[in-house]
Amino acid sequence: MRKLAWIAIAAAAACGAQQSEAPAAASLPKAETILDRFVEVTGGKAAYEKRTSEITTGTFEMAAQGLKAAMTAYSAPPDKSYSVIDLEGIGKIESGTVDGVAWDKNAMTGPRVKSGDEKAEALRDASFNGAVNWRTLYTKAETLGVETIDGEECYKVQLTPAQGKPITTFFQKKSGLAVKRQMTAVTQMGEIPAEVLMSDYKNFGGVLQPTRIVQKAAGQEVSITIESVKTDQEIPGDRFDPPAEIKALIKK
Amino acid sequence: MRALAGVVFFALAVQAQPDEKQLNIDSFEKVWKTIRDKHWETNPGGLDWNAIHAEFRPQIDAADSTERAREIMRQMLARLKETHFAIFPASVYRDVEVEMSGEGSPGIDLRVIDGQAIVTDVDPGSPAEKAGVKPGWAIESVNGKPLHDAIDKLKADPQIHEITLERAILARLSGPVGGTVHVVFGTGARENRMLDLQLTEPRGDPTKFGNLPLEYVWIESKKIENTGYVRFNLFLDLAHLMPRFSDAVESCRRCDGLIIDLRGNPGGIGGMAMGMAGFLVDKPDQRLGTMYMRGATLNFVINPRAQGYKGPVAILIDGSSASTSEILAGGLKDIGRARIFGTRSAAAALPSVIEKLPNGDGFQYAIANYISEGGKALEGNGVTPDVEVKLTREALLSGHDPVMDAALQWIQKQRTTK
Repeated sequence: MRKLAWIAIAAAAACGAQQSEAPAAASLPKAETILDRFVEVTGGKAAYEKRTSEITTGTFEMAAQGLKAAMTAYSAPPDKSYSVIDLEGIGKIESGTVDGVAWDKNAMTGPRVKSGDEKAEALRDASFNGAVNWRTLYTKAETLGVETIDGEECYKVQLTPAQGKPITTFFQKKSGLAVKRQMTAVTQMGEIPAEVLMSDYKNFGGVLQPTRIVQKAAGQEVSITIESVKTDQEIPGDRFDPPAEIKALIKK
Repeated sequence: MRALAGVVFFALAVQAQPDEKQLNIDSFEKVWKTIRDKHWETNPGGLDWNAIHAEFRPQIDAADSTERAREIMRQMLARLKETHFAIFPASVYRDVEVEMSGEGSPGIDLRVIDGQAIVTDVDPGSPAEKAGVKPGWAIESVNGKPLHDAIDKLKADPQIHEITLERAILARLSGPVGGTVHVVFGTGARENRMLDLQLTEPRGDPTKFGNLPLEYVWIESKKIENTGYVRFNLFLDLAHLMPRFSDAVESCRRCDGLIIDLRGNPGGIGGMAMGMAGFLVDKPDQRLGTMYMRGATLNFVINPRAQGYKGPVAILIDGSSASTSEILAGGLKDIGRARIFGTRSAAAALPSVIEKLPNGDGFQYAIANYISEGGKALEGNGVTPDVEVKLTREALLSGHDPVMDAALQWIQKQRTTK
């Protein structure tokens, strides 16, 4: 879910979240309780760990700009990923992670190997079953309060990694599902405040995943609609190999 | 192409209004709110924008004419101390709001030189080339309407960009594909030439990008002795343009120099400047500049290619080089990677918008600020060439391009002093 939320550079704009009176910290559940409950309500640890790979297909849309494209993402343990969006007028926008390398490539800005916080973030996002393994990805988890989003009370949980920016996720009190994220996206062009809204959870291979993901940042809105998630598929090993241009940059 | 020139003009009809005073108040409110909501700083120009409203609103309430209201709004915008924030009387824009009546073109490019519309390029295989039109010819009239008056009037307004003026004239030459345009040319000889030029599809491949109108994109590259030369009309259709640009650079690895001709290029997708610069820069973590928007600051970072071009790079610009052209030329100049030849660029690096106000006036505003790596805002300043060379009608008539000649001479000098 997180990796899909990061496929595009997103944008910022609030979605009508209203701060309700913050309960005393002592009355708030611990962050780990909320995070573990999320795993439970979306299928349970065993269901997550049973899966060996994912191939996700869907659409990527920037409606205000009139841009729409097909999107495919592959992922496998421990943190292998590859995604491609084929956008008319721009061509293929590719990104991936493998063996500790994070990269992206598109005709606009050229091939690029990520570094620093951006690399750390990409590798975290690519972590297969990151929802289950959050304890290994983040050094601190904290419940910050309660906010009402679209009429539903949500726990606000902040996760802080060893390297990179903290990320705040809003989990519905009632359902336990994550419905919103706020973060500072670390991109090559700079740090961009971003917000991601997640909805329309559906069951794929025993695990519930959001099929509607809306990202807002820098005045732009990107909508991702997931059409299918095939699990436990045979993915050829070279699917995760970086393109030749990336290999050349790694050697350079 | 007009839509990419950085400025969008809306029809600004002058009509008698029933309640001039209220329309002026509505116009003031629209201007004030637009700046409040869309300026890249939450405190526009470092000002307390609510206090600005409190100061100017009573003056608008007391204004007894549209002229006075316009003056007050101009005073308010002047507090920003920024370019591209302006109020225009509707009448000024009648001459530039000419809509292209079709995508058909005779295949001519032009510049306004010494108050005349001069042909600078004739597209290969175009009706203009077949009819014998030559660079250096002056366009005296189009479909029976002389151009001199319109050019003089528009040139007298310092707010009008050269690029806007030239696009307005090109729009007069356009029409439906299959139609004709009657043009009187001054050829430099005694007699004028009157030609009926057929209108055909513009040069290049039709390209659609999102909501932008259909554009025709072309790129050409060649070798001039041992110097590479590449030119393209828009930063669009990158799926095709970037590989062609890459090929042009690749084939020039052993060249004495590389010339990138951005004259007349009004820009397009800003990110392409970063991609193209990556072919010319080998040190990582360099930037062309920084764009400041409401809620985000974007660094235009260059990604060096594994195999780039390391020799001398000359970039040619003129008053019709805008937007992404300025970002690329200005950034490469600032980091010392390219030498710039020609005349100052359009100073329109950002998409500024002109909206019609309730009282009929036009309101122009920029939605972001861009600072080139050297620390200077491109908007309103443009890129100043290292070597200023002006195109002249005489040079064009004699088949010369003094800007290109200056770049070639510099490249040769680099070779001999190596």
